[in-house]
Order: sequence, then structure tokens, then C-alpha cells
Amino acid sequence: MRLRTPLAILAPVLLCAVALPAEVTLQDLLDDPRVGADWLNYHGGYAGHRHSLLDQIDRSNVEALRLEWAFQERISEKFEVTPLVHEGIMYITVPPGDVYALDAETGARLWRYSRRLPSKLIACCGLVNRGLAVLGDRLFMATLDAYTIALDSKTGRLLWETELIDYSLGYSGTHAPLVVKDMVMVGTAGGEYGIRGFIDAFDVETGERRWRFYTVPGPGEFGHETWAGDSWKTGGASIWITPSYDPELDLVYWGVGNPGPDWNGDVRLGDNLFSDSVVALEADTGKRRWHFQFTPHDVHDWDATQVMVLLDKEYRGVERKLLVTANRNGFIYLLDRQTGEFLRATQFVKQTWAVGISEDGRPIRRPGMEPSAEGIEVFPTVAGGTNWMSPAYSPDTGMLYVSCREGSSMYYKGDTEYRPGTRYWGSMFVNEPTMHNWWGAVRAFDPISAELLWEHKLFRPAWAGLLSTAGGLVFAGTSDGFFKALDSGSGEERWRINVGGTVQASPMTYEVAGRQMVAVAAGGSLFAFALP
Amino acid sequence: MRNLLNLVLLLALPAVLAEARTHETNPMTSPEDFAEGRRLYRIHCGVCHGMEGNTGRGARLARRNYRHGDSDAEMFDLIEAGVPGTDMPGVWLEEDDIWRILLFVRTFAAKASDNCVAGQGDAAAGERLFSGQGSCLACHTVGPAGGRLGPDMSFAGELFTADQIRRALLEPAADVADRYRTVRLVTAGGERVEGVVLNENSYRIYIMDRAEDLRWFDKGELRSLETPTESLMPAYGNLLTEAQIEDLVAYMCTLREDRMEGGTE
Repeated sequence: MRLRTPLAILAPVLLCAVALPAEVTLQDLLDDPRVGADWLNYHGGYAGHRHSLLDQIDRSNVEALRLEWAFQERISEKFEVTPLVHEGIMYITVPPGDVYALDAETGARLWRYSRRLPSKLIACCGLVNRGLAVLGDRLFMATLDAYTIALDSKTGRLLWETELIDYSLGYSGTHAPLVVKDMVMVGTAGGEYGIRGFIDAFDVETGERRWRFYTVPGPGEFGHETWAGDSWKTGGASIWITPSYDPELDLVYWGVGNPGPDWNGDVRLGDNLFSDSVVALEADTGKRRWHFQFTPHDVHDWDATQVMVLLDKEYRGVERKLLVTANRNGFIYLLDRQTGEFLRATQFVKQTWAVGISEDGRPIRRPGMEPSAEGIEVFPTVAGGTNWMSPAYSPDTGMLYVSCREGSSMYYKGDTEYRPGTRYWGSMFVNEPTMHNWWGAVRAFDPISAELLWEHKLFRPAWAGLLSTAGGLVFAGTSDGFFKALDSGSGEERWRINVGGTVQASPMTYEVAGRQMVAVAAGGSLFAFALP
Repeated sequence: MRNLLNLVLLLALPAVLAEARTHETNPMTSPEDFAEGRRLYRIHCGVCHGMEGNTGRGARLARRNYRHGDSDAEMFDLIEAGVPGTDMPGVWLEEDDIWRILLFVRTFAAKASDNCVAGQGDAAAGERLFSGQGSCLACHTVGPAGGRLGPDMSFAGELFTADQIRRALLEPAADVADRYRTVRLVTAGGERVEGVVLNENSYRIYIMDRAEDLRWFDKGELRSLETPTESLMPAYGNLLTEAQIEDLVAYMCTLREDRMEGGTE
């Protein structure tokens, strides 16, 4: 009885000590998401699977899933973040330049970092940000004014900031960085503004630049001859989605954006390396080990900024280290990720620009499908057969899940002239006349054969990514405001809710206080769902 | 010290940031400026406002009056800064280029209004037809009167050319705005319903039926659901004489803001 008072005083102190999260270690990053409770990387793991081992929410009980909390901010921009969660604390970016730490159990705000941004930012497609990277007690963010910054994860205090390049030339940072060993890696967006794309690696402690890789090679560099004249200086080839990483091979796989100007390729004759390619870079040096270009000399704006999914599977009787990716140009590609060898490409949405893909992986183009002054209708749309929204891969079903976009755009070609910091497009596209033929689907493929295993039709093409869980579910969002759970084996819908805004982000899942939560950004809010 | 620091900072800002509008009216007039304005419009504006300023999810530019102001200065500021809280962003261009875009955008208004001329028709006779024999008011609003099934025609004379109105009367299905898509469905019980689509998502369709009743249906439970390309509006070539069509065109060209009392969009 006499001990009661001192204990009551001590109890909060003890709780505080217990609640203080441990630092995120490199091992944590390598384990994620195999450990399950946390979500420490944009993709939920280096391999780009967006699959979680959490199985509390499963096919049998998902019907009871309900909103646990919502986080609302005054957001007029697209809310594209995938949160990170570490030991009960959630870290999100909120457009255009804020970072929040939240109680992952309740959504309560813990701290906010707000970046002072210039009044006139240059971003083609909204003042967006897709999330953070974490290591130790540090969070890392790429900013719209083209900096990489490090914040103290306990307080939100700015620890260092390093400028990538002068943002007023059209450069920006939008993707969640990648932490590899003691480096944080960021690429630059701005492919619609005549930039010359690059990828930087920084020391996590100091922010000092370790290396830079130009996605448009300069004079004397491999691939420079694929750009006519001086066009390499304004060739685009931006980076705006987080790469995947193979720790064993120590290679980072970057999907590279479109060449510029987008719809008029006359000033940049040639293949335009490494636009629309995947480049495998050595983590320590940034040196290119190999590359594969999906769409040489692209004139339809089909960036290869889709997620690179890394798989170890048998291919033609031999165990291989593979890379599979559904590309914006309408084909799913299978590559050897050790060598870059092209293994297979299979059409996965309606497309009218290519007759097929040759044995060396180059598209065989259908003549007359380039943009013209009068406009030409081409499938898929300018947004592509899929886009930056994440696919998912389930080791349980062995299926690759892809959010597919069906439809066409009108592509126009026009004059173009480079002026620093302004749109360098070569005319434009128009969707209005063709939108009646647009629709979407979540599709499940065998990643090796690309055989279609099931399809869940969507009323409109979606901008939301997919999440696979060990509970036998695939979570998907839609443009008409639904967030839903599908049976990962059959595609059958098991649960849905209307969240009242377009889902334009990829969902994630984590565990806090013994409960599995599923979180997704939609409209101007972030929603977290759990079982009662 | 603080002020001095501010001044230094201001001076150090890139020229492009420090720029402000230096004219009240558009100084750009040459054919070269116009051509450049059209090129820039297509890059910066066309995706949302359409190549001719009359399609797309953005505001219709082929009109004479604008919600956020019609003066050159107001239009310039809007193009430069955008409309907060909407999808209309500002453009980061030099002053001259914004004026060039405006020079081109102004041609839309000219097309919208100046071409809507009465021609041979008798506007007074057209007005009687509109509310009488033509039954146009059954579905279209003019000012406070009329139905809600079709688009509001209160400002038809500003929004459309005479040719566009004539064509809509003769071939109503040729250009139906998405908001007025026709829907034809049969319920599980066999009821046939026709109307326009108010909203549609993966699971449900919401319609205004011919009686202007708001109804909704679960798509999975319908026997059939069509969104045919034809319009609910009849083709008036079969119902009225050529002269009567011209009377209607003449009347509708008079439907402008200066003729309306009150009336909102």
C-alpha cells in the first residue's frame, strides 16, 4: 500500500522509456518487411515487392475492417505519400514540403517540419512528394526546391541539407530517397523542363556528395552518341520513383524517365540513353554495371519510372536473379538483374505503337504512330499502361499484381525551343476526345510467363498502387474514391470503403499495439484501418 | 540592418522571381506574338482547356465574360498566379510570354460572341418557338425558367456560334458534354428508365430521368445499362421548318448576359 504512490509517479517515466523507439539499423532495412511490424522503406523492402508478412487481417475477417483514424490537412495538391512506420511512430510527407511524425496507433501529431519553399516552384504534375527514407535516428527527404535534407526523427530538427542543383532551371525532388549502407540516394525530377537528369548519393551523416551518375551521358561517356548535337544538355531522363536494391549484388536499380522534349524527338535523334531505361548502378561508386532501354527514342512520354520488382526464381530450368517490371509502354519485361540480359516482354494492356518486341528487347515499331501536327490516337494513353503506382508481388501466390490503365490519347507534335525553367514539350497530348474508352483493372500475372491469372475490373484507370499481405489480400485504391481489399488468389472483392477522394498513393501496412493497420493516402487525408 | 539584409536578398533573387507585371493592357499585338502565344497556349493550357478553348476539364475559355475578371490585367494575373484551391496552376513564364498567351486566348471570346449573329431569322418568333412548339424549355433553362435535363442556355449567345447552335438543333448527338451523357437502363424488374448521368462509379449510377427525378441504381443488379451516343434531345430537322430553325438560332444568339436580369451560372 505504501509503495503505491512512488510507483504511480514512476509509471509514466517507465512508459516513456519504453516508448522511446530504437534507432533503425542497416539490418532492420535488410530485414524489412520480413520482420513485419515496421515499414521502413517506400516499397516495404529493398526488393520492391510491397508485400507484408502481417496476416492478422485476412480473407476471413477483412469484411470487418474499419476506419481506425484519419489524418487531415489542408492539402490542395495530390497526396502521394507512402508512410514509414518504426516502433509505433509514423513518418509522412505532406505536400508541398512538410514532414510529420504521428502516433501510428491514434494518428495524433507529434511534430511537424515545414520547409520554406520558394513561391514559384517548377513541377509538371503537382507539388507532390512520395515519402521518406530512414536510418538511425534520421529521416531523409528530397524536396521540391531540389535539395536532399536530413531530419532528426525524434524532433523534426533539420540536421543537414544539400542542394542537388538550382531548382529554377526546372529541377525538383519528389521521390522517397533510398538508404543503402551509409548513403542516401536521390534522383532529380523535371523531365518536362529540359533538365539533364542525374542521381546523387550522399553521406547520411554529413550530407556530403559521394557520387553522381548522369542519366544523360556527357561527352566521352558511354551512350553520349545516342543524342544528336547538343540535345544531351536538355535531354530530361528524370528520376521520380524510389529504386530497388539487391544487397548481395550490391546493385541499385533505377527506372529512368522520358527524354525531352517529350512529343517531338527531331532535335534529339538517336536512342537517347538512358531515358526510358533501367540502369543498374554499383552502390558504392555509382558506376553503371548495365542498362536496358525499354523505349528507345521515346516520343510518347513513356517514362520507365515504374517499380523494379526483384525476384529469385527459376527461368527455363535455371535459378536466376530476375527483375520484372510492367512498363508504361504497355509491356511487362523480364530481365536478368545480374547482367541486364533481356529474357522476355509481353503485352499487358492494349497498345497500338509496336508490332512486338524483338529478341534483343527492342520494340518493333508500327509506322505512323508518332505524334503529328494534326494529332494521332495511340494506345496506351500518355499515362501509359501503368505508371508510378506500385505493383505488388506475393511469395505466397507467386503472383505479380499490377494496376493497369486501358485507353488511348491524342498525341500532337509541334515546334519547340528550350528556355531554362519552362516547359520543354514539343507540343502536347489531349485526352478529352478519347477518355470514353478509358478503363482500368487490377491484374495478376505469373511474373515469369506474364500469363494473366485474374483480373479485377475498375471503372476508371487508377492512380493508386497495390499492397499484398500474407493475409491473402491485395489492397487497391481507385479513382472514384474506393479503397478495397481483393482476394490475392482470385481477385474477388472482399471489402471496400469510399474514402471520398481519389486514391493517388500506394498503401502500406504495419503493426502497432498488437494490431495490424493498413494505411493509405487519399484526397487530402491519410486513413488507417484496422479490425475492431 | 534587417532591412538592408532584406534588400540584399531581394536584389540577389533571380530576375525571373523579381519580375512583376509592367503593363495594364496587353502590349503584344503582332502576328508573331500571336503565333508564339498559340504555341505557348498549346503547351501550357491546352491539356485542360482544349486546343480551341472549348473542351476539357478546365473552364471554357470560348466566352466573353470570365468569372475572375475580364480586363487584361486581371486575366494576366490569373494566368500568372493560377486560381488557389483549384486545379488551375500559375505558369512560370516571362511577362511577355503571358501577354502572348492572352493575345491568343482573346480570340476564343471573339469566336464565341461575334459569330453568333441572328442572320435571316426572326428572334421574336424564335423565342415563341423556344417556349412553345419547340418545347425547348422543357429541358433547357433560360434565366429562371425551364428544365434541368439539358444544359443551361441562358448565355448561349456568348458560348456558341450560330453554326454550333444550328448544328446542335439538327444533330444533337454530335457534341454532347460529358455531364449530359444519355443513359438507358432496364431494371431487374423490367422497368425501362432513360435520363442523363449525374454521377457514376464502379458500383452505382445516379441519373436524372425524363421527369427530372433523381434516381440511382446498383449496376450489378441491372438487366442492362447503356450509355448510347445519341442525345435525349430530338433532331429538330424533322420537327421544324428550315425557317423556324433560323428563328431559333436568331433568338438563342440574343441570349447574353446583358439581356439577363439576375441569372447566375
